[in-house]
Amino acid sequence: MNLIFDILTTTAILYIVAAGLLLVFGVMKIINFAHGAFLTIGAYASLIASQLGLTPVAGFVFALLVGGLFGLLVERLVLRPLYERPLDAILATWGLAIVIGQVITLLFGREVQFVPSPIRGTIVLLGAEYSAYRLLLTLVALGLGLTLAILLTRTRIGLVTRAVILNEQLAQGLGIHSQLVRFFTFALGAAIASLAGALITPLSSVDPNMGVPWLINAFMLVMVSGVSMLSLLFATLIFGAAQVLISSYMSPILGGMAIAVLAAITLRIRPKGFSRD
Amino acid sequence: MIDGDLIRKQLLRSALPALLLVLCAPWFLDTYTTNILVRALFFAMLALTVDVLWGYTGYLTFGQSAFFGVGAYAAALVFTHLGFGPGYVVLGVLLAMLAALLIGAVTGWLSFYHGSTPLYASVVSLVLPIVLTQVLFSGGTFTGSSSGLTGYSMPDLSVEDWFRLVGCLLVVLTTVVWLFVRSDGGRILFAIRDNEMRCSYLGINTSVYKIALLIVTGMIAALAGFGYASFSGVVAPELAGFVFGTEVIIWVALGGRGTVIGPVLGAIVIDWSSAYLSGNLPYVWKLFLGIAFVLVIVLLPQGLLPAVFKGFRRFLPANTSSRALKLIQAEPKPVELEPQSLAVELKNVSKNFGSLKVLSDINFSASAGELVSLIGPNGAGKTTLMRCMSDGEERASGLVCIQGHEIKRIAPHRCVQLGLGRKFQTATVFDSLTVGECLRIARTRIDPPSFWRRSAQLSLPTYVLEVLTATELDQKLDVVTSSLSHGEKQALELAMVLALEPRVVLLDEPTAGLSMSERSLIGKILVDLTSRFGLCLLLVEHDLDFVREISTRIVVLHQGRLVLEGTVAEVVDSELIKTIYSGSVGHA
Repeated sequence: MNLIFDILTTTAILYIVAAGLLLVFGVMKIINFAHGAFLTIGAYASLIASQLGLTPVAGFVFALLVGGLFGLLVERLVLRPLYERPLDAILATWGLAIVIGQVITLLFGREVQFVPSPIRGTIVLLGAEYSAYRLLLTLVALGLGLTLAILLTRTRIGLVTRAVILNEQLAQGLGIHSQLVRFFTFALGAAIASLAGALITPLSSVDPNMGVPWLINAFMLVMVSGVSMLSLLFATLIFGAAQVLISSYMSPILGGMAIAVLAAITLRIRPKGFSRD
Repeated sequence: MIDGDLIRKQLLRSALPALLLVLCAPWFLDTYTTNILVRALFFAMLALTVDVLWGYTGYLTFGQSAFFGVGAYAAALVFTHLGFGPGYVVLGVLLAMLAALLIGAVTGWLSFYHGSTPLYASVVSLVLPIVLTQVLFSGGTFTGSSSGLTGYSMPDLSVEDWFRLVGCLLVVLTTVVWLFVRSDGGRILFAIRDNEMRCSYLGINTSVYKIALLIVTGMIAALAGFGYASFSGVVAPELAGFVFGTEVIIWVALGGRGTVIGPVLGAIVIDWSSAYLSGNLPYVWKLFLGIAFVLVIVLLPQGLLPAVFKGFRRFLPANTSSRALKLIQAEPKPVELEPQSLAVELKNVSKNFGSLKVLSDINFSASAGELVSLIGPNGAGKTTLMRCMSDGEERASGLVCIQGHEIKRIAPHRCVQLGLGRKFQTATVFDSLTVGECLRIARTRIDPPSFWRRSAQLSLPTYVLEVLTATELDQKLDVVTSSLSHGEKQALELAMVLALEPRVVLLDEPTAGLSMSERSLIGKILVDLTSRFGLCLLLVEHDLDFVREISTRIVVLHQGRLVLEGTVAEVVDSELIKTIYSGSVGHA
């Protein structure tokens, strides 16, 4: 039972981390290598919030806002000239990640810091004793997935965004301000990344380079998922399960690279990954 | 080779002073600086390999650090576990090369295949260092796990001698790379970067080139790593890691991708200044580097050095030493035509996108000397049909034979080997190459180019020479194609396709966007090709007057079906054509 919970919660965490990256990739066709840095920003935002004595929920909201604000700035200042050069956009956002990492190091120091978990201890569920916070994250991931799905499929903003995803030129021809769509999509992606950073900090610790390993897993998951939130769910479930199983039955080191390797092989066999068409 | 003198002069001017510099520099530098610089020289070699792959070929790789790390660990493992001596050095070098060969081959196979995307190749290059560092972490005491290996015996050389040795090697490597990228064969890298699809439709197997390039550059990177480990006496998993891989990209980007000397200087200057500045201002220096990187990528994508050069060039007289490329007539190849074999034959070819049938049951053939026009309204499936004839992966079912050979599921470059040429609807030439270079790329399959030299001659079949003369492109061989007019680009692409010496040529709207006079010129050339040289031309056209003038036969496609086939008179005057083009037979 613990193993199943491990798989479920790992999937949930991966989903939370990758969702923002997928959103940005889907709409902008750009891989945001600063995603890991936004994660780190969120983590430090929640650290500040907890030091100020805010409640954890207020901390999460704070992280969300800070991330969104940074996203707006980055899209305006760095990304806008790079839409025609997607490979360069990877590099510029990676450079940005270095900058953010160094600024955080200068402000907060290199040392590892901790944020207390909003709910402690374990609960007994279906005969197994499991960390309450990890289970809570599963609910959060579900909520996030549903919110994004509703936003994309049930609202006018979502309709416009999907139009840009499917055919940007046509969308522009129909009078959709695709520049604006990109602007806010990137900000939303950054905000979700930042929230993800805040959410995962109670499980681990906070340090200036914490984003990098997450970035790579999220990146690989997005590559196999294409542009659909649903296929991202499949991808995180399958690869998350693979990671947990390999880590517990073979070796944690192999488990650490399971997602990257399996995703690369999946793409070689089926270039479209898990997306349907 | 009239070019030889020029190259020799340029070599003398740059390589010799560089050699002199590295031999004398140790007398003027303190030991600490020399020490730092030796390290930087090894990194510069690594940067050169990234430059060839990314700057010249357009393959953004995060994984060259893995090859460097493999070389470094080959040295450290052999010296730690076996011992040190000349024999062990040779063994270590061999192991490093072998490992690089294997890793390069596997990575290349994963990254490059017909239909792979640049983004996917970059993804694989990202996975490689991650996997390798995990392997090194899990190696226990054998690889030293996270702390790496140190304390093994090393070559007994003074720092100054190391500097001279590595410096000379770097000068040699830089020269070799310089000769390679400027050679006729090296231009293929530019062509792949500019337009990989055009390359494969010129019969070039781009995947093989890229895999070979990855293996060779991987081996060079491994050797650099081997030297680094022998010099420094320390190896750690970070050497093979993703972060180091991105650092190399930063050196190349700042120095100037797509130049030879830029990345070398970038690596040396940045690594050297890091050593000094990171002591005093550790985080600020890296912050500064990150900001510089972002600024260069956004504002100066070509890097700092080319920007500086551009500034200088304003004060220098323009470089007028352009060499004249001489065109000569190629030996006509004896055409081994099997008697009565059809040039093209299609049997029951179908294609669908999802449930939408784009082509259904197309049966059609054409023989040598025919000029067949495919006409039909927009969306009739004309371009799709051309695609099905030139790429084995395209059609859903049916048979396609070129010159009597079935194309099965083969990739475009192999269809070209069967005698096929395809001109695209929009003029596709290589933007950063000159007219002469584009034509030479097109001859790659027939005249394999040298990877060291630039030839002053280019042999082309008679009809290509005639096309070039007629369009006056032969006066513009040294002009970069991006400055050609639209009509000239169309003509150049036609000449490139014909330079393949094809027997069957697919032409997708060759006259689109051309003026009246250009159009009649192209028409005359096409008629000539079929009547005098016996080529089989298949033409997609909208202009019925043009079609009427030049075709020997006309085929009408409508809603994915072949609805009419016959001589010009039969088709043009038929009722069906009038109704299709006036649109009343929409859903018959």
